[in-house]
Amino acid sequence: MTEDLFERRVLFVVGKGGVGKSTVAALLAVALAERGKRVLLAQMGPGRRLGEVLGVDGGTDGPAEVLPGLCFLTIDGELALSEYLGLVLPVKRVQKMVVSSKLYHHFVAAAPGLKELMTVGKIWYEEQLESARGKKWDAIVVDAPATGHSLQYLRMPAAAADAFGAGLVQREARKVLDLLRDPERTAVCPVTTAEEMPVNETGEMYAALRDRLQIPLGVLFVNRVHSAPLAPDAVPAPSDGTPLLVADVLRCGREEAGWAAINAHYLARLRSDVPMPTVELPFLFCEEFGLGEVRQLLVGAKSQLAALGTGAPAGTR
Amino acid sequence: MLDALVRDHRVVICVGSGGVGKTTTSAAIALWGAVQGRRAVVLTIDPARRLADSLGLGALGDEPRLVDNAVLARHGVKARGMLSAMMLDQKGSWDRLIARHAPSDEARERILRNRFYLNLSENFAGSYEYMAIEQLCVLAESGAYDLIVLDTPPTKHALDFFEAPERIRDFLDRRLVRWLVMPYLSRGWVAAKAMNRTAGFLFRKLEEATGIAALAEISDFFSAMSGMFDAFSARTDTIHDILRAANTAFLLVTGPEEQVLTEAEFFSERIRALHMPLKGVVFNRVHDEFSTDPKAQGDEAAVEEAVANAGVDAETARWLARNFVDYQMLARGEALRMEQFRGGLSRKVPFVTVPNFESDLHDVAGLRRMHHFLFSERAIPASAARPRRGRRSR
Repeated sequence: MTEDLFERRVLFVVGKGGVGKSTVAALLAVALAERGKRVLLAQMGPGRRLGEVLGVDGGTDGPAEVLPGLCFLTIDGELALSEYLGLVLPVKRVQKMVVSSKLYHHFVAAAPGLKELMTVGKIWYEEQLESARGKKWDAIVVDAPATGHSLQYLRMPAAAADAFGAGLVQREARKVLDLLRDPERTAVCPVTTAEEMPVNETGEMYAALRDRLQIPLGVLFVNRVHSAPLAPDAVPAPSDGTPLLVADVLRCGREEAGWAAINAHYLARLRSDVPMPTVELPFLFCEEFGLGEVRQLLVGAKSQLAALGTGAPAGTR
Repeated sequence: MLDALVRDHRVVICVGSGGVGKTTTSAAIALWGAVQGRRAVVLTIDPARRLADSLGLGALGDEPRLVDNAVLARHGVKARGMLSAMMLDQKGSWDRLIARHAPSDEARERILRNRFYLNLSENFAGSYEYMAIEQLCVLAESGAYDLIVLDTPPTKHALDFFEAPERIRDFLDRRLVRWLVMPYLSRGWVAAKAMNRTAGFLFRKLEEATGIAALAEISDFFSAMSGMFDAFSARTDTIHDILRAANTAFLLVTGPEEQVLTEAEFFSERIRALHMPLKGVVFNRVHDEFSTDPKAQGDEAAVEEAVANAGVDAETARWLARNFVDYQMLARGEALRMEQFRGGLSRKVPFVTVPNFESDLHDVAGLRRMHHFLFSERAIPASAARPRRGRRSR
């Protein structure tokens, strides 16, 4: 399944809030761009998560190039819907009338999942865009919102194809669904940390993706993994006579060893609960986390991906 | 310290993005209330199984379950009051809300079976948030509790939570609904299109875009709901009052990472704009375990030597020194960001930091440890629960 991760057209990065989806999305996008691909890194829904990692603003008014070959885009469901109506209603004046009407706003708020559908639809739209040199994007990496929400997004095309009667939306939904379920073109990469709650949620998400949504799985990323050469109890405990500095050092050591032990425990649980090819990203000690740190993580991730056979030979540029 | 905040408020709403320890913080606050003699309840979204187990609750349901004080005593916690916990079940809450307000059995069944409703109750943006607040109202009105701690859902969008009641109300706005539904009901779809050229045009376009079935479902939903709008409207007023009551406090729970803090800043601005000011901030998992001056200890070699001199073997000393320097670097970035964040807050807002413990906190012992950083009053008389590190409150 993973041989061709970097050959897929669309990679969805999903996971619980706060586990580092944006970091992994940025990492995958940078890796693809390094391989000479034209990459679109898309953030679903509002917020500045990805902008914070990339150190850029914008991307809300269309793709903005942030690195050579790498463009960034924030997809707003409501905007995508009016864009979509622009395609269905070619007359600008009419389109404006529809979009500014109260009924429309009510309808957008009222139609459950329509915004989500339009967001995924926008990704489909970007996927099939053509340029003079063939497809506009070689790859699209999608930074999805927190788990519950991201599954809600991924569920929408199927739900819409099912719920909406014959009509444009249903036809569009089917096209999107075809893309989502195509193992040649799409893969979902879950992200988690090796801690209790995220691991529980990842297990549930894995089952949902595999059984209900039937969206092809890519690689599982375990983020912020601590490591220590010894067990927490093996770190000497400070006594009354220990100098303050040494006591601080021992406390930090015990803390790090403690997290390393927790991470090891939940990594073992992941191996049995979520049987997917896995890449571990170490916890990075830094004052600020930015693109430099993403590149640093990428170095280690590349060799792990190569070992998994994902087609990322070392030194590929 | 949060002593006064918890003492002076009946409702404490913990807000913040996902993955920052909101659930644990909420549970710790409710437990502390119970220790102080309050009748406390924590309404949580997704508690760790270990926490529920530790409280002797097994599976949490959508009704409050009382924690046996004997269980707490076994963990060395003496509760003069009581602690209950419940979990938010979004779908169940909606169904009960419908059941409570539906004018007839027939209407209730019609709504509960409606596909649009099924989708709405599970997926509607803000629906989860609305239900959290709805449950808060139910608990507040029951009169059974004098401390209600609400652990809010991690929001896709910070605004969802605060705007959910208004959004649901607008959504159920009668005039708009009548405009949308009545022509369809009374004279049929075709008549609606003929009745008003603009409306007809819009309907036709939306119909094209969606398929008629969806609109028909929506119309049917609204007509079935038509007896319930007054109830919803009144509810929104109650919610509005509770959220802005003097004895309701919003407590921001966050972490020191940049991405989390960016969201927290946004949150705090929004809450202020909505006249629901923040009354406290909790920073979880902060690396501030230094009793010595971190700036004075930058030299890794010197640290290594000091550790080795204290009798630690060379290899371990090397790792410990490396790790210590790493932690200091992390701590510097965190301290800077927290100071910046604090600069944007009123001086009166208590600002509490909880250290990054060497284990995750998912049991009563963990909550006890947390108390020492959240509250100054010695709530739990247990020597084992003394803080490992200097208590910090700025």
